[in-house]
Amino acid sequence: MSSNTLSVAPRAAAKLRKYLRIYRVSLTERLVYRGDFFLSTILRFLPMVTTILLWQAIFAGAEEDTIAGFSQRQMIAYLLLVHVSRMFSSMPGLAYGIARDIREGTLKKYLLQPLDMLGFLLSYRAAHKTAYIATTSIPYGVLFFFCRDYLSAIPTPSVQLVAAYVASLLLAFVIGFAFEAGLGMIGFWFLEISSLMYVINTVNFFVSGQMFPLDLLPSWLSVPLKALPFQYLAYFPSAVLVGKIQGAAVWHGLLAATVWAGVFVLLARSLYRLGLRRYSAYGG
Amino acid sequence: MSGTKRYLRLLAALARYSLAREMAFRGNFIARISVEVIWLGILLLFYRVVFQKTSVVAEWSEFEYLFFVGCFYALGGVIETLFLDNCNTFADLIRSGDLDFFLLRPIDEQFMVTCRSIDWATVPNIFLGGGLMVLALVMLDRPIETEQVIAFVLTFVCGVALSYSFLVLLMSTSVWLVRNQSLYELWWLFTSLMRYPREIWRGSWALPLGFFFTFVVPAMVVVSVPSSAMVKVLEPRLTGFTVVVTVLLLWASRRFFRFALRRYRSASS
Repeated sequence: MSSNTLSVAPRAAAKLRKYLRIYRVSLTERLVYRGDFFLSTILRFLPMVTTILLWQAIFAGAEEDTIAGFSQRQMIAYLLLVHVSRMFSSMPGLAYGIARDIREGTLKKYLLQPLDMLGFLLSYRAAHKTAYIATTSIPYGVLFFFCRDYLSAIPTPSVQLVAAYVASLLLAFVIGFAFEAGLGMIGFWFLEISSLMYVINTVNFFVSGQMFPLDLLPSWLSVPLKALPFQYLAYFPSAVLVGKIQGAAVWHGLLAATVWAGVFVLLARSLYRLGLRRYSAYGG
Repeated sequence: MSGTKRYLRLLAALARYSLAREMAFRGNFIARISVEVIWLGILLLFYRVVFQKTSVVAEWSEFEYLFFVGCFYALGGVIETLFLDNCNTFADLIRSGDLDFFLLRPIDEQFMVTCRSIDWATVPNIFLGGGLMVLALVMLDRPIETEQVIAFVLTFVCGVALSYSFLVLLMSTSVWLVRNQSLYELWWLFTSLMRYPREIWRGSWALPLGFFFTFVVPAMVVVSVPSSAMVKVLEPRLTGFTVVVTVLLLWASRRFFRFALRRYRSASS
């Protein structure tokens, strides 16, 4: 009994070291293409600038000072913060990569090595997110500095609110990861999922509140959309910080996001297990 | 002349081949078309919501703006159908060294790289955009002058040529950057300069930037000028500028592409 307890700790440490190493290798790989990374980071600011200008123009022509309860500054602050949410929740190419591994038979590398696929991919994505957030923090910092007037619409948050915001971002990462990974598992049943991903990504841009706050929509559409898990990928964290979701609603939201994260993780795991039964390791 | 004919015949053959290939995966084809329709639906819903709260956006009324959206959609459709997918694979050709096979063929390299397949799934965008423009004109119910139509067609063609030149410039950088990111994403980011009327660039810092992206990097004239010529004011000087800058940029992008090719080192064994 006691020897078992002793061996568990080093085993857990070894496991952790393994995934930390994957994290380090992925981080190095990410920085190889730094020229392209830099160019795309610069271009990534263009839509932000044009979105700010578009909303300025919309508010300049509007009959009222607020639109769906958002003042101009709150709206722009929300749209800036949505980028922070998506920094955590977007997982470009994750589902497609899993489906490709299944289709081409390269998935067997996870089966032959003492490596859990979801664990590996989670470390890999966490590394990419770290590299991305670290390298974009300076340009984002500059942009946010220039937009400080809009961001001043954010009420000074309490310590609890900051903690809730950070938790919502981490949950956005987990939900985004598990949702995409689950979609990738569909590759066990269908040969090609890229067209499905096109549809889902397009709809997601809208239903997650990335395009504009869900409150702008008529209630017959905004109420069901807020019941879906996709709002936790973009809308929820930003709305919390802008102060559009307050009090108990913040904690209810965090609880719901945790439940959704658990559901998606379980779903991805179950689909992986089920899929492996069908998997024929095609390819050399 | 025989050269042009040869390339047109080649383009027709490549278009037929692309269609046959696309039809082999009909489900995928239909899914991609539905995405475009869904996306347009989302955009229209967004602008409907916006125009319920305001009557003008940067001096564009709802149906003038609808025409702008249609023009952007149709122009984007032309670019995606003819060039985007081809340009997107350029980075892979560089990385894998497969570009060698293109350079050995007795065809112009730029034609081969940028026009070798037609993306049929985005053809409906051209019609959807066209339909929106017609709908907007009907709803506006204004008399249309012949010179407006001529200026629109001319600047729309210039818009396509300008976008193509930008795409070639962006694509050619792959020779140095060994791109990891998809050109699709970079292009989507870049087109945010074309997606809204240039009149939104107002205010202390935006005005000079707007000037820069109109006259130095003329991305903002691509959709704004043809749309404005048709539903707002026909500005002869801006129209003239658009034509001149199109010719210049087509020339410059070709020069840059050839310069990039000279820096290309085959990666194959």
